[in-house]
Amino acid sequence: MDDPFQGSAAWRGGEQREYPPQTSLMNDSRPASSIDPTLPLRAKGGDRQAFAELVDVMYPRALRFALHMVGNREDAEEAVQDTFVRVHRNLDRFRDDARFEPWLFRILANRCRTVLEKRKRHSVVIQYGDVPDRIGAVQEAERDWTEEVYKVLDTLPSEQREAFLLRHVEDMAYEDIAAITGVGLSALRMRVKRACDALRVRLTEVMRDE
Amino acid sequence: MSEFERDPIIDKVRDTLRSAPHVAPDQRAVARVLSSVWESPPPSGWRRFINTWRVPALSGLGAGVLTVGALLIGFVTRGAVNPRQEAEPLAATGAPTGEYPVQAVAFDAEAIQIPTQFVFEHGEAQSITLVGDFNDWKGEAMPLTRLPNGLWTTTVPLLPGRHVYAYLVNGTLLLADPRAPKSGDADYGNEGSVVMVFAR
Repeated sequence: MDDPFQGSAAWRGGEQREYPPQTSLMNDSRPASSIDPTLPLRAKGGDRQAFAELVDVMYPRALRFALHMVGNREDAEEAVQDTFVRVHRNLDRFRDDARFEPWLFRILANRCRTVLEKRKRHSVVIQYGDVPDRIGAVQEAERDWTEEVYKVLDTLPSEQREAFLLRHVEDMAYEDIAAITGVGLSALRMRVKRACDALRVRLTEVMRDE
Repeated sequence: MSEFERDPIIDKVRDTLRSAPHVAPDQRAVARVLSSVWESPPPSGWRRFINTWRVPALSGLGAGVLTVGALLIGFVTRGAVNPRQEAEPLAATGAPTGEYPVQAVAFDAEAIQIPTQFVFEHGEAQSITLVGDFNDWKGEAMPLTRLPNGLWTTTVPLLPGRHVYAYLVNGTLLLADPRAPKSGDADYGNEGSVVMVFAR
């Protein structure tokens, strides 16, 4: 799983495909891309400024996803930086008719998984290092809510957290999430549903107390 | 998002997670990423080869032919090449070099371009480009990207040293950067701004 370009488990097994897969699932329900579609192509052609613009535009979203996935800023920044290095190194493999964001998030999700795997091996406690500073200035009720959201998010299995973040925070279509994670649509829907159920159960009470 | 997924709690969770202020655009972080990208070595020869020649699947017969061919070439050329015998003696450098030759490589830190970020605030512009002595003041070469918060930004690689620049707004209006020192001269009718780029 360390090399995102080798594909996730569902993509292995003898059959090699271009990314993203051309299937009937690619429909018009996908959210509109927030980047200029010519930027990746210009970057692929060696235009450094275009790549710099890509980083500029995508960095906040990538860092947000990584932070929510791995839980601390240092690891998140490292995962994002590593992702952009890999993207740049492999731009020549980026198909001209593909969309950039799912490709980027596929690599990023793999980097985050790698961070989480490493952490599991070293038994490091997950902490949201920025949370106390981040919520320091908000109202107490909002502070409690935000803390609770992070606590619940942290307790979700990483695959549920990943699916939930991609679907509800990054607003991606299930088809794109399937391409990013290599997981089938029905399994993805189940992961998102389970994540929503867990959040709903744990947060209903907090919301009532506000 | 389908209707059955609408839920006030999930909506609020999404808003909370989306509004995290610590992921606001961070120009220094972006510059760090770009430095890392530019400094990263290009893909290895093998990686490039694999990228270029991605063969969907190699049949057993094809693999066998390739293997036999490689063995045949090895057999025919055996003994013809012995790099150790043919290697030039190592130059006397005064320092122990071990088994492998060590070659001095000229390294000019001043010749390495440094990613430099420019940020400009202009709420009404339709387009903004960066012009300066580094691009011969050509307006089309370095467009800025408009961010959702109304800032315009671009990152360009610049050689270390002093550069004079300005922003070309809507292709006609040349404006200095209010957050940068003035150049003190007015080559194009207005003073430009100065950016100092340092080699790391």
